[in-house]
Amino acid sequence: MNKPVILVVEDDAPIRNLMVTTLKAHDYKYLTAPTGQEAVMMTASHNPDVIFLDLGLPDMDGIDVIERIRSWSNIPIIVISARGEDEDKIAALDAGADDYLTKPFSVEELFARLRVTIRRLSMMNSDSGTDRSIYTNGNLKIDYPAGCAYLNGDELKLTPIEFKLLCLLAKNTGKVLTHTYITQNIWGRSWDNDIASLRVFMVTLRKKLEQSPDPTEYIQTHVGIGYRMIKV
Amino acid sequence: MSLSKDTKEKRSKEKNAESGERILVCLSSSPSNQKVIDAAAGMAEAFHATLTAIYVKPANYDSFSDNDKLRLQDNIRFAEQNGATVITVNGNDVPAQIVEYARTSGATKIIIGRSGAKKRHFWSTTTLTEQIILNAPDADVFIIPDSTVDIKQQSRRLILAQNIRPTWKDSAITLLFLALSTGMGLLFNTFDFSEANIITVFILGVLIIAVITVSPIYCIVSSLVSVLLFNWFFTEPRLSFHTYEPEYVVTFAIMLVSSLITGTLANKLKENARQSAREAFRAKVLFDTNQLLQKAECADDVIRISAQQIKTLLDRDVVIFPLTQEKELGEAVEIAVPQYNDKSSEKDENEAEIAEWVFVNRTEAGTHTGNYKKAKSIYYPICINDYCYGVIAVYLNGKNPETFESSVLTSIIGECALALESLRNAAEKEEAAIAVRNEQLRSNLLRSISHDIRTPLTTISGNAGNLLTHYEQLDTETLKQIFTDIYDDTEWLINLVENLLSISRIENGKMELHLSLEVVNDVIKEALQHIDKNADKHHIIVELNNEVLLARMDARLIAQVVINLINNAIKNTQTGSEIKISSEYVEPYIYVHIEDNGPGIANSMKPHIFDMFYTGSNSISDGRRGVGLGLALCKSIVESHGGSIILVDNYPTGCCFTFFLPVEEVTVHE
Repeated sequence: MNKPVILVVEDDAPIRNLMVTTLKAHDYKYLTAPTGQEAVMMTASHNPDVIFLDLGLPDMDGIDVIERIRSWSNIPIIVISARGEDEDKIAALDAGADDYLTKPFSVEELFARLRVTIRRLSMMNSDSGTDRSIYTNGNLKIDYPAGCAYLNGDELKLTPIEFKLLCLLAKNTGKVLTHTYITQNIWGRSWDNDIASLRVFMVTLRKKLEQSPDPTEYIQTHVGIGYRMIKV
Repeated sequence: MSLSKDTKEKRSKEKNAESGERILVCLSSSPSNQKVIDAAAGMAEAFHATLTAIYVKPANYDSFSDNDKLRLQDNIRFAEQNGATVITVNGNDVPAQIVEYARTSGATKIIIGRSGAKKRHFWSTTTLTEQIILNAPDADVFIIPDSTVDIKQQSRRLILAQNIRPTWKDSAITLLFLALSTGMGLLFNTFDFSEANIITVFILGVLIIAVITVSPIYCIVSSLVSVLLFNWFFTEPRLSFHTYEPEYVVTFAIMLVSSLITGTLANKLKENARQSAREAFRAKVLFDTNQLLQKAECADDVIRISAQQIKTLLDRDVVIFPLTQEKELGEAVEIAVPQYNDKSSEKDENEAEIAEWVFVNRTEAGTHTGNYKKAKSIYYPICINDYCYGVIAVYLNGKNPETFESSVLTSIIGECALALESLRNAAEKEEAAIAVRNEQLRSNLLRSISHDIRTPLTTISGNAGNLLTHYEQLDTETLKQIFTDIYDDTEWLINLVENLLSISRIENGKMELHLSLEVVNDVIKEALQHIDKNADKHHIIVELNNEVLLARMDARLIAQVVINLINNAIKNTQTGSEIKISSEYVEPYIYVHIEDNGPGIANSMKPHIFDMFYTGSNSISDGRRGVGLGLALCKSIVESHGGSIILVDNYPTGCCFTFFLPVEEVTVHE
């Protein structure tokens, strides 16, 4: 795969410069757009591989940009928001964003997010040809039709809910899923008590996945936001 | 309308500020009443006092002549023109109502016209003036010469009217005792007892009747009938009203007079006993109300307690309309007597409308008042000094409240208004105190951070300037140092901004929380990812409890607490120190400990460690002192979550910060 093309949508010049400089230093190709309108046009005309999208744009709401792009494309979108705007982040994720970055962010953080997204891209591409009924991620293997999950070849003893959760996360590997999204998919509703149950199930599921002496972290917790399965 | 009310309020407040005097003037429909009002207005001006005019509207107001009504309107208008706030209360016991109002509104001077000043008979009741003087010992009473006796006559007539109505029961009692006396007389006659004995028996009968029956009419009637009976049965010729011996005429006259006097005295005695019993009862009710009101903590409680008291007292349904947050009249809250529940359908349909009217006009309305006469309840405003705290409605089903009842009602409502006013004053004082405290906090904060922000900004901008101009001349080593400095300073600023953002959420001393159920360990792990980058120079040990414990919290703020505590340990301990983060669950709290083996905290600093802007002397930190926000913030965050934070010494050296949060039990949905 070629070095991916990244579209940076950010109205603040210093931050745009910072991101561009960082991307240049690591040999990524990049495009920039200072407004939402331009972002949508650039996405349509240049078809970038990943979009970094600032939520506070001057001309239109970041959520609208996501919705417009999502109407025709599945390009991974990483939103950038200021601290203390959890609601915006969750709304963006629910609108179809894949991940988020919080200002102020470090360069390492930016690249960590980018790497996760690119791995996911490559997995999506490679998966398209192979058998979709079997999912593998590191030592984790899920056999969807059989309803079984294996870690290091041993079958995991999961409750039905835990299995459903695992499948949901696996099918969205690399994507941050909000609490609301998960509870909606598992229980069909999102009551306070369901979110509490989700927390408990997640902890038990993670314990089962990370029981080996040298555990690999498959599921990331994003406090106040949701969970994500990582491609290891 | 509202404007004029405002200005009036303002004016009365201004006057209040000048002197604490309150003058109460009594209104009547008498033409000379204007003279009284005039005198009162003059006095109010002289004393810089507030002037309130009160009119006690009797139940038979409608039967007044149009002339009377017109004159009353004139007098009321005259009072208003003279700057008085006019209050109308309903009731028949005029002096009691006036005294009650004076007491609850804190009037210092009462001005009345002289009305029918002298007692005419030794059994007549005291005059209005005398009663007011007697019952209002705290207020100065001023009597202005006034030619008519309007108020008094009315009240006299009314008191009589109320008690005079004969009842079936009393009539039966009267007949029974008259028959008994006659029977006894006949018996005595058979045994040839002297007539004196028979007369005594009749007088005794009248005495008993006077004691037992309510209306004084029975006493008069039975006196007369006794004489007639005596004449009919016991004087020659028997069974006729004639008499042979003229001396019997004297006997009859004396018998009539003595039985009348005995009866009237007994009646009066009984009336006094009843009066004092009522006084005692009323004192008890008011005392109870007072006691209960003192325990009340909020306006809602006060109104509720008063309504309960009224309900107990009158055994009637009470509906209250308390004020809402927006200072408007709220929904009706019913406090019903159980057995009347089925009657609730007979409530006034337009009760909200009437209550609103009462609230706006600060005047009683409903049955037996001048407004909304068709209503089944009577509506009282809970009002004091031009401020209305709500409306209380008492369900009377068209019945007239007894004089005594309505006077106690006025007292309770007055007490209620007083209690509400003192609550409001207390709340206002507290608000002012909080505002002052917030202002202090803000100015302290600004002073403190403007200095602390300037220092790193100077370094950053100076370093960046150096790089821009002298980049080529600088060697790699120096460059690296400059970059590190810039990086450190920005890190420091980021941390400060985080804390400031959290502090900005403290409003009125309380923190605004975005609560959700979170796994405590997840939050701690999240926090560990954001600690100071110097952490790798220390040994950070994490030993978390394995249970899945959920707590309702603002995840970001609790993470901030953990970050602040760990950063605090990193900053204040020597390089290579051990910092241990552990958690344990002791029902119903989860305890999180952050321990270090640094130099510890001196005893003298411990009491201030959680104070805002307190920065202790520390020998380890590399020069830059903190702002003194971190620990203060931790404390207010943890406490607003219903937990607490404490500091203890660690053994052998160092310190241990522990905070705990309440854990929430969760039922899991499978």
